[in-house]
Amino acid sequence: MAPKPIGSPIPDSLYPTLSVFLLAIGLIVTASFFIYEATSSRKNRSLVKELTTGAVASVFLGFGSLFLLIASGVYV
Amino acid sequence: MEAPLRVRLALLLFIFVHLSLHTKSFSQELQIINAERRIDLTTHIVTVFLTLKVENLGASPASEVLLAFSPTEVEHLALVKAAATTGKRKKKTYVPLDVNSVELPDAPNGTKYFSIALVTPLSKGDTATIEVLYRLTHSLEPFPVEISQSESQLVYFRDSAILLSPYHVKQQTTFIKTPSTRVESFTMVEPTKRAGTELKYGPYDNRAPYSYLPILVHFENNNPFAVVEELEREVEISHWGSIQVTERYRLFHAGARHKGVFSRVEYQTRPGAVGASSFKHLLARLPPRVHSVYYRDEIGNISSSHLRSDFLKSELEIEPRFPLFGGWKATFVIGYGLPLQDFLFESPDGRRYLNFTFGCPLVETVVDKLVLKVVLPEGSKDPRAEVPFPVEQRLETKYSYLDVVGRTVVVLEKKNVVPEHNNPFQVYYSFNPIFMLAEPLMLLVFKKIILSKSEVAKDLS
Repeated sequence: MAPKPIGSPIPDSLYPTLSVFLLAIGLIVTASFFIYEATSSRKNRSLVKELTTGAVASVFLGFGSLFLLIASGVYV
Repeated sequence: MEAPLRVRLALLLFIFVHLSLHTKSFSQELQIINAERRIDLTTHIVTVFLTLKVENLGASPASEVLLAFSPTEVEHLALVKAAATTGKRKKKTYVPLDVNSVELPDAPNGTKYFSIALVTPLSKGDTATIEVLYRLTHSLEPFPVEISQSESQLVYFRDSAILLSPYHVKQQTTFIKTPSTRVESFTMVEPTKRAGTELKYGPYDNRAPYSYLPILVHFENNNPFAVVEELEREVEISHWGSIQVTERYRLFHAGARHKGVFSRVEYQTRPGAVGASSFKHLLARLPPRVHSVYYRDEIGNISSSHLRSDFLKSELEIEPRFPLFGGWKATFVIGYGLPLQDFLFESPDGRRYLNFTFGCPLVETVVDKLVLKVVLPEGSKDPRAEVPFPVEQRLETKYSYLDVVGRTVVVLEKKNVVPEHNNPFQVYYSFNPIFMLAEPLMLLVFKKIILSKSEVAKDLS
């Protein structure tokens, strides 16, 4: 009856790759958010679109920065 | 008037007989038929192997055997282990026994006792063989107290030729092993023999309980007297995949103090004759699969270290910035990371536990005060530590990366730690895996705030 070891939810070797991809996607979505902000005028601007783009961008950037911290050795 | 007087006398006699029966309840029942003591003085920690053959003379079965130590010995006693042995030579089986410190009211001259609990009580007329191991720290006194760098280190060892015991000992012998053949002097208590590195005191027959014959052995011991005055070990658990261990050492050379100048030229040109009692290498045994090992002190990184790992263990050989002579100190920090799955497990009742080794990774060193801090991740509840020997426990809070409420720290403290204390211990705690999302959610919210600020800024423009 060997004790069951607990590891991390995601394999360790994936952390750098995962952080690069998540941050890349997050930055792309952030860029699209800013482009939308820059190109839209007061009249044809939709709050829902702004909020969703912002939320999606922050989710990707949030997880990407977490994996970046872990990959560089700061095990938070 | 005579009858009540006679009744009173009878009552007094009755009480007196009862009292005399009760005071000798433990001492005279057991007898030690043969005691063999092997004292190993090769390192700076004194190791004593004691083999006792105990016979029960009394009528009632005996469930414990008492070991007596003098008050000075007990102060330096690091650990006592006992086992019952059956069979001979290659077919010996060892059954470990519990040893506890006990207080007895009528102890002569402040003797302290340890009680060994037998697995099966010893019935009348039966004999049992018990092997005891105990280690004494700081028991070798350097004499001369100060030496120059070209002299060898000589130390005093004080003990008794007769085993201090609350029982009658029929026959006993003591063997003392010194690290080299240079023994300046030793007390002669007939019959005493000396052959090479071994001194034999005995055999002595029929000694009364609590008999004590002090002896003094003055011999050469150039083994490294490495003592860590204070060691603080911090084990930080992160559920994202690693355990980070940071150890802060205050190392001290506890041998004869160095006097005079330290000539580096002499030290390097004549390595055998000069600085015989000094040491410059220290070996630390670390678990296998260790990564990111660093060795630094307040000045910066110390590059004189080697790490050799294989599948079973890793060995870190470190060299402080200067060789340590008597009375010299060195402080440094060693840190390393370990994979989480080697040490964190799930218990059957759903709680998680960390299985780690207590003690100091440096080989053959004494730690005067060891403080072990286990930092549990944020959101851990009900921490509980299970350690195989008595330690002082308390809880603290530590604020680290991305912490809101702080991390619970289980602090275990122990004094007088020897390498035999490198046993695994467990720290149990409950953790809801949903709390692992707390950290990315915090980063997420932070990013969202930044984006929404820019949105609001655009709105206002």
